[in-house]
Amino acid sequence: MLPRRAWLAGGAVFAALPSIACAQASAWPTQPIRLVVPFAPGGTTDLAARLVSQGLGMRLGQPVIVENRPGAGATLASAQVAQAAPDGLTLLVSNIASHGVAPSLYRNLRYDPVRDFTHIALLLETPSVFVAQPRFPARGIADVVRLSRDMPRGIDIASSGTGSSNHLLIVQFGQVTGARVNHVPYRGAGPAMTDVIADVVPMMSDSLPSSAGHLRAGAVRGMAIASTARHPAFPELPSFREQGVDLVASSWFGLSAPAGLPPAITGRLSREVAAVLADAALQHRFAELGGTVGALSPPAYAEFIAGEVARWAPVVQASGAQVE
Amino acid sequence: MDILGNLAHGFSVALSFSNLLFALIGALIGTAIGVLPGIGPVATISLLLPITFGQPATTAIIMLAGIYYGAQYGGSTTAILLNLPGEISSVVTTLEGYKMARNGRAGAALATSALSSFFAGTVATVVVAGSGPLLTSVALSFGPADYFSLMLLGLIISAVLAQGSVIKSIGMVVFGVALGLVGTDVQTGQQRFTFGIPELSDGISFVALAMGMFGIAEIVLNLEKPEARSVLKTEVGSLWLTREEFRRATPSTLRGTLVGTVLGILPGGGAALSSFGSYMMERKVSKHRNLFGTGAIEGVAGPEAANNAAAQTSFIPLLTLGIPANAVMALMVGALIIQGIQPGPRMVEAQPDLFWGLIASMWIGNVMLLVINLPMIGMWVKLLQVPYKFLYPAILVFCCIGAYSVNNNVFDVYSTVLFAVFGYMCNKLKLEPAPMLIGFVLGPMMEEHLRRAMLLSRGDVMVFLERPISASMLAIGAIALIAMLLPNLRKGKEAALSG
Repeated sequence: MLPRRAWLAGGAVFAALPSIACAQASAWPTQPIRLVVPFAPGGTTDLAARLVSQGLGMRLGQPVIVENRPGAGATLASAQVAQAAPDGLTLLVSNIASHGVAPSLYRNLRYDPVRDFTHIALLLETPSVFVAQPRFPARGIADVVRLSRDMPRGIDIASSGTGSSNHLLIVQFGQVTGARVNHVPYRGAGPAMTDVIADVVPMMSDSLPSSAGHLRAGAVRGMAIASTARHPAFPELPSFREQGVDLVASSWFGLSAPAGLPPAITGRLSREVAAVLADAALQHRFAELGGTVGALSPPAYAEFIAGEVARWAPVVQASGAQVE
Repeated sequence: MDILGNLAHGFSVALSFSNLLFALIGALIGTAIGVLPGIGPVATISLLLPITFGQPATTAIIMLAGIYYGAQYGGSTTAILLNLPGEISSVVTTLEGYKMARNGRAGAALATSALSSFFAGTVATVVVAGSGPLLTSVALSFGPADYFSLMLLGLIISAVLAQGSVIKSIGMVVFGVALGLVGTDVQTGQQRFTFGIPELSDGISFVALAMGMFGIAEIVLNLEKPEARSVLKTEVGSLWLTREEFRRATPSTLRGTLVGTVLGILPGGGAALSSFGSYMMERKVSKHRNLFGTGAIEGVAGPEAANNAAAQTSFIPLLTLGIPANAVMALMVGALIIQGIQPGPRMVEAQPDLFWGLIASMWIGNVMLLVINLPMIGMWVKLLQVPYKFLYPAILVFCCIGAYSVNNNVFDVYSTVLFAVFGYMCNKLKLEPAPMLIGFVLGPMMEEHLRRAMLLSRGDVMVFLERPISASMLAIGAIALIAMLLPNLRKGKEAALSG
C-alpha cells in the first residue's frame, strides 16, 4: 500500500513513484518494526535476535520488537512473513531450519526460500559439534567409526530432532565416513543432552551454543567440531578435517524481509545491521553464545542461502526424513 | 555445616535492597499474570527479558524466579474462583477448589492453596539447598524405559480421577492420548492427524484445550442456568480456614510436599505428574475420601503443595546440569547466557552469589507471595460478587488474549472456541475433562519414551523388565489395576469407586 502522503500528491502519483519511494525510504521507519523469530523464546536464535534488535532499534530510531512465532520447524512464521507487505516493518530471522533444510524436508512448503524474500544480512553462525559421554571409550572420530562397525546396529547418536541440521550432520557423517549410525531423536537439545550425561546415549550431534557449558564443565567430552578451524573458546577441540573427515557445517541465522523490499530500505538495513554487528560488546556476547558474527552483503546472503538449500537436499534425501 | 554457611551467604545476597525489591516486583507481576487466565509466565518473561540485560545476573534471575512462583500462585486463584486452569497443575486444583468456591468456601480454598504452597515451597527450598547435586544423580538414573513405566503408572492411576463411570474415564484418557498425538512424530518427523494445517504441526495448544474445556465451557453452562450464576453471589462464608479444615488440610499438605519434591526432580516430565499424583494419593488415603468431588479441602491442599514443591525442585536439573525442565526455565537459561553465565555443574563454584542467592530468594519469594496473597483473598472473593454479565465477557477477553499469547497465533484462539464447544458437550454427556487432559499431557511423553527405549534396545521389550526402576513401576501399576478390578468383579463398580 502506498502511504497516505503519496495519495495526497494528487495526479502525479504514477510519474512521481520512484522519487516517492526514495522519500519513503529516508522517512522509514516511521513506525515500530516487528522482528519475527520463528522459534520459542530462550533459544540461541531468540537471544541473538533480541541482542540485535536492541542495537538496531537504537540506530533506526524506532523500536524493533521481537515477536516469537514458533511452529512447524520455523516454516509457519516464514510463510507468514513471505506474504507480509514489503514495507520494512515486518522482518524475519531466517535460519538453517526454515531456509536451508525445510525446502527439501517439506514437500508442500508454501514459500520459496530465495525468491519469496529480500535477504538482508547473515547475523550469526554457530558451528556444529559431536560430543560424547566422558566414559565413552572412543577418543577420536576414527575410533567412533571403527567402534560403530563392530556394533550390530551401529552407534547411537542423539540429536535435537528429526530433520534438524544436527540430525542431517549425523547422516552426512555416516555417508562420508562409512560409520554405521543409529539416530536417536529428541524434542530439543536439552533432553538429548540429559541423556548423554546420564549415559543413555553415548554421543550427540549438537550446535556449539547448547553444548558449550557442558563442554566447559567436563560433563561431556568434545569429539570434533565441524568448522574449518578450531574454535577460539575451545582450542583443545579438534575439527573433523584435522581428523581426516571432510565435514563442515554450522547453524546460521540472518535477517530477511518479504520479497520486493525497496532497495533503499534494504541498503539502510544492511548498513545498520553491519554497524550493530561491529559493536565489540555484541561480538563478545555472540562469542559467549558459541557463535561468530556473520558478515555478508544482501546478495551474498541470498547466494549463501541458495547454496545451503542445494547442499542439504541430497542429505535430507538420504536421511529418509521427508514430511508430506 | 557448610550448607548453613552457604545459605547465610545466600541470604546476605538476596536480602540486599535491590534484590529484595526485584523479588517483590517479580512476585507482584507473577501474581498479576497468574490471575489473568491464560497469560502465562513464558509470554511475560520473554517480554521482560530485555530489561534483565542491564541488570546484574543475580538480580535478573531473582526477578524472573519471582514471576515464575507468582504465576503459580496466581494460577491457582483463577482455577479456584473461575474454574480456569492455566496449566496442568491447576487443572487438578479446579476439581475440588472450584467446588469449594461454589460451596461458599472460596476464601478457605484460596487460603489453603497459599498456605500449603508456602509450606511445600519452604521444604523444597531446603531440599534444593541441601541435596541438589545428590538428587541429580537420582534423576540421571532414570532412562527412557523408566520414564515410560512411570508415565504408564500415572495413566493407570489417573482412572481414579474420574468422579463417575470408570469406563467413561478410561475413554477420556484414551481420547486425550489421541489428541496428544496430533503433530510431528518425534521419531520420523512425519505429521500426524494435522490435516495439512501447519498450525497443528506442533500439536494442539494445551492452554487452548484447558481453557476451552474448563473455563469457557463453564461460562456457557453458567449462562444456561440463571440459578447457577446466582450461586456465585451467595454468601462467601468466612475467608479463613476453620479449625476442622486446618486439621484436615495438614496431612494432605505433608503428603503433597513429599510427592511434589520427589517428582519435581525428574527432568523428563515429573513436575507434570506431581499435582495429580498427589490428588490420586489423597483420594486413596485421606480420611475424607468420600467427600472428593464435592469440594474436599484435601484435594486442594495436597496438589497445591505438590505443585509448588515440584516447581522448586525442578530447579535442580537447571542448577546442577544446566538443563531447563520447562519453557520458563529455558528462558532463565537464556537470561543467564546473555549475562555470560553458563548454567551447569560448575555454577555452584563459579557463581556462588548467584546460586545461593537464588536459593535464598526462592524462600524469600515464597514469603512475599504469602504476604501478598493472604490479604488479597478478600478482594479475589469479592470478584465473584461482580455481576456475571460484567464478569464473563472480561474472562472471555482474557482467555482469548491468553490463548493468543502462547504462540502469537490466532489459530489457538479458534482452537479454544472449538474445545469450549466440546467441553460443553462433555459436560452434558457426563464425561470428565480432567482424565482427558492428563492423557493429553502424558500420552505423547509416554510414546516418546517408549519408542526411544525400543530404539536403544534394538527392539527388545525385556528392557522394561530388566531395569529395576521400570520393573517396580510396572509392578505397582499391575497391583493398582488388580486392586481396582478385583472388587469390581466381586462387588460391582460402586465398591471400587468408594474404596
